[in-house]
Amino acid sequence: MAQRTTRTKKKKPQAEFVPNIVAFACNWCSYAGADTAGVNRVQYSPNFRVIRTMCSGRVSPGFVLKALKLGADGVLVSGCHFGDCHYIFGNYKAVDQFEKTKALVKTLGLDEKRIRLEWVSAAEGARWGQVIDEFVEQITALGPSPLNHKQKAKK
Amino acid sequence: MLDAGRHPNIEVLTNSELIELGGSAGNFRAKVWRRPRYVNEELCTGCGQCAEDCPVVVPNEFEVGMGARKAIYSPFAQAVPNTYIIDRENCLNSDFLVCNNCQKSCDRDAINYDDSGKVVDINVGAVIVATGFDVYDASAIPSYGYGLYHNVLTNMELERVLNATGPTQGHIVRPSDHKVPRKIAFIQCVGSRGEGKEAGCQYCSRFCCMNTVKDCLLIKQHAPDIEEVLVFYIDIRAAGKGFEDFYRRSQEMPELKYIRGRPSKILEDPETHDPIIFVEDGETGKVSRIKVDMAVLASGAVSAESNSRLADVLGIELDENGFFEIDTKYGSPLHTLREGVYVCGCAAGVNDISDSVAQGSGAAAEAERFATRLPEEKEPKEKKEIDTSGPPRVGVFLCHCGINIAGVLDIEALKEHAKSIPNVVHVEDNLFLCSDEGQRMVQERISEHKLNRVVAAACTPRTHEPIFRESCDQVGLNPYLFEMVNVRDQCSWVHTTTPDKATAKAKDLIKMGVARSKHLQPLYKNSIPVNQSVLVIGGGVAGMCAALELEAQGLKVYLIEKEGRLGGILNDLTRVYPANLSAFELSRALMEKVEASRIEATASTEINSIRGFVGNFDVATTNGNLKVGAIVIATGAHIYKPGDEFGYGQFDNVITNQELENILHDSRDKIKIKGETPETVVFVQCVGSRDPEKNSGCSRYCCPTTIKQAIRLRESGVNVAVLHRDMRTVGAQAEEQYRRARELGVKFIRYNDERLPEVFGDGGRARTVEILELALQRILQVDVDYVVLAAGMVPNEATTAKLHDILKVPRDADGFFMERHAKLGPVETTIEGVFVAGCVSGPKDIADSIAQGSAAAAKVASIICKETVELEPTTCTVDQSLCRACGQCVEICEYHGPSLVELADGRRAAKINQALCKGCGTCASWCPTGAIVALHFTDEQIDSMMEALLAGVV
Repeated sequence: MAQRTTRTKKKKPQAEFVPNIVAFACNWCSYAGADTAGVNRVQYSPNFRVIRTMCSGRVSPGFVLKALKLGADGVLVSGCHFGDCHYIFGNYKAVDQFEKTKALVKTLGLDEKRIRLEWVSAAEGARWGQVIDEFVEQITALGPSPLNHKQKAKK
Repeated sequence: MLDAGRHPNIEVLTNSELIELGGSAGNFRAKVWRRPRYVNEELCTGCGQCAEDCPVVVPNEFEVGMGARKAIYSPFAQAVPNTYIIDRENCLNSDFLVCNNCQKSCDRDAINYDDSGKVVDINVGAVIVATGFDVYDASAIPSYGYGLYHNVLTNMELERVLNATGPTQGHIVRPSDHKVPRKIAFIQCVGSRGEGKEAGCQYCSRFCCMNTVKDCLLIKQHAPDIEEVLVFYIDIRAAGKGFEDFYRRSQEMPELKYIRGRPSKILEDPETHDPIIFVEDGETGKVSRIKVDMAVLASGAVSAESNSRLADVLGIELDENGFFEIDTKYGSPLHTLREGVYVCGCAAGVNDISDSVAQGSGAAAEAERFATRLPEEKEPKEKKEIDTSGPPRVGVFLCHCGINIAGVLDIEALKEHAKSIPNVVHVEDNLFLCSDEGQRMVQERISEHKLNRVVAAACTPRTHEPIFRESCDQVGLNPYLFEMVNVRDQCSWVHTTTPDKATAKAKDLIKMGVARSKHLQPLYKNSIPVNQSVLVIGGGVAGMCAALELEAQGLKVYLIEKEGRLGGILNDLTRVYPANLSAFELSRALMEKVEASRIEATASTEINSIRGFVGNFDVATTNGNLKVGAIVIATGAHIYKPGDEFGYGQFDNVITNQELENILHDSRDKIKIKGETPETVVFVQCVGSRDPEKNSGCSRYCCPTTIKQAIRLRESGVNVAVLHRDMRTVGAQAEEQYRRARELGVKFIRYNDERLPEVFGDGGRARTVEILELALQRILQVDVDYVVLAAGMVPNEATTAKLHDILKVPRDADGFFMERHAKLGPVETTIEGVFVAGCVSGPKDIADSIAQGSAAAAKVASIICKETVELEPTTCTVDQSLCRACGQCVEICEYHGPSLVELADGRRAAKINQALCKGCGTCASWCPTGAIVALHFTDEQIDSMMEALLAGVV
């Protein structure tokens, strides 16, 4: 199967910084898309950990903030494309929730680029890999979260 | 596919062919030839190691030759069963050569080069033919140069190019130089709507217009810098629910131009390999040659090549196009000429996906008449359940999946890691955990080590969780205490090149899985009794068909009709296209069948209220109360009543097609309108359809209806002209009838949205119709005796609105009921136990309505044939002590699960009906007080995963 070309990273703030990223994926589209990536042997960055929920609408601001509070450097929420939601409009609710989360993240003084909302369908294995690669790159460029004391200590 | 593959009552025989069918309906004897696969289906796990090691590379059929596969392969990524197969024509192993690579690489010893296939005998009650279609071979039209020119593709090839899993990972590049094309042209009707000596079929292939519209929008997404997309078309046939809106949306794309014209030929620039298209613009008459970077031929659908052989075996006939012939006497598209043999989807003619799905369910309902029901599985006697109240005792099981996991991840390191996690009392690995032997091992360890939580680090829960859950259940461990960690699909397969990092990730995932497992709670499936009767609302053709199917299956059916008699719209029709059946005969036949059956049909009855949920609905009608387990809504639609468009109401010789139908009904040989034979009749299409302000969708039935009426008028010597935007003659025989109308001398004149036809007259009579002839750019004046307005179909507002209020089935922008899924669930609704059939969910013709009636019957039967319905326990519940009754959950739930109730202490709080909740958990995330708990995905469970992962970071 085709291998994805890994992009050369322009800026590396710290040579050994490996970001901690939590990715919420809905059961029906994004989690299935991540499985499809596997079936197609799409190669992408391993620097993230998936938590499965039934719907992206389940991901409350509380979950995202909790992850950030515990020191995650980035949080991804991924659901079905509009019109594809297994629960009709759950992904629209996820957008509302995400907007609230974004406002809270900004209030806390964190960079809103640390959180991201994406849509990946069950067929889009390659896209899942691309989304993860891009997000890992983005978070790596941002450097460790100010709440990530372990990385700060290393500095 | 996965559902069918996993269903306990479905045995999937792939790579097989029916070679003989003896006996008769209810007792067929089928002989099935199972072609050799050379891989043992029972042993193969689909790990794919054999394909990795196979040295032979050949073009991949699934990628339309644009990708490659090995000689041992799985046909495509999501194939069911996921078993590999050897293509012996390309395999190196032969009499004189030995490669044996795949045999060597297979840990399960599944390869058998001497497989010779076998014939199996099966006894069945009914046969359903669903063999689909072939794509027209575009190289049969030499003037388009497909196969000769580099950058001329077919729509199927483009589909693969646009697909993220396709040969280019979704990047649009042209074949000759792999550059991103800037200018793409689509050529419609390749192999469809063929004229004269030209190659191809005469009918319309129906799917290609929408396929092209979709591709145009996708191209814009994949290549935002595209400069121009041209679509050369004859008519854009966006005739299906939501299709017209989709087409309209595509017209807003500035790069996209629709040009009416059928290109005469394509040449290729020998240097740049750019295709050059020769075409006459149908609206301006200008002939031009247009150079593009890539041309896409919208190849149509032709009957499958295998049809003739299969028809011989089945003893049924093919029609002139090579599709299976339908027995038209039922008006239904499902019956073949042999009793007990049914057909659905594209085997009987071209159909789009939603119609094919409805026909599939409909054929199943028909087949059930002859099939014997399998005895309902009786639960084994009470088993002892493992007590889970004590501290968690977690067992972690690691699967090697051959070398799929173990080849990348360091299993020993993972085992050590797992042992170090608190509460983990046992860790063990296995070559294939999902094998019988692996599952037995897990079961034995549960009792040996008194495990009360099981974590498996293996493949994906989406496919394998049910297997593990069942094994746990068998030994008394609540299946919801099982947790699966995905270290194959989302780890070893995707981080192959960095095994250290992949192992580190797997460690984290196991840590998270164990943490979550400790918070899992046992859940129990509730089963509620089902009232084994059904209510069909609406006694039109769809409703009567649904009721008759259900009654034939021995179920109690109530059929209620608002009007004084059954029949619905059929009562107002004369003849039904395409077979020209008498509408009167058809409705009389159905009504007689209903009368002779045990169906309780009551006319002049309306619904007052409906309460309850799947299996248990309480219905109050104006004629007494009913208790039913399921409901079919088949209340139909109305024909649009024109306002003052085109002089309707002002001139008494401007009538609707419905009024003309009544006139044709009454006239025998010579057509007389109000006593006189008209000389000239002009039809105006799309009145009240394709109009964003009135009814945005295409009403689909009016074009074929106009053709039917125009032919009838023309045959009695009347001059007929049809003013239209696109003639949308989709469906069986419709294109052929359109051609016949033209041959008979019916004039078809196109108008566009900018300038609608105008009707002039005096003294209450229309005298002339003015229309701008687009090619001549001149106003034509036609003297008329009658103007017929082809009025579209609109929702039956009063009834639909009322049922919407009662049942909460969502309505679309035009006001029709929304089905559960536009393609895959055409007769289901979001409300469990409530189904729709016929025009209530959007305009349909008689044949499609009949198919939907049967489809709804099949879906109803699958619920109410059982005595109980099992409710999935992974739903949401409310901790009422925390609820402050703000009602937000009630507002956001699409399934009407939550409602506010009064508690014993007089306080109000939310309550979620488990029968309605689908368990998405959105309300739990929304609840401001945290009173809602999403079972199996609780806050504690998700938090514990994050805490385990990020422990020590802060």
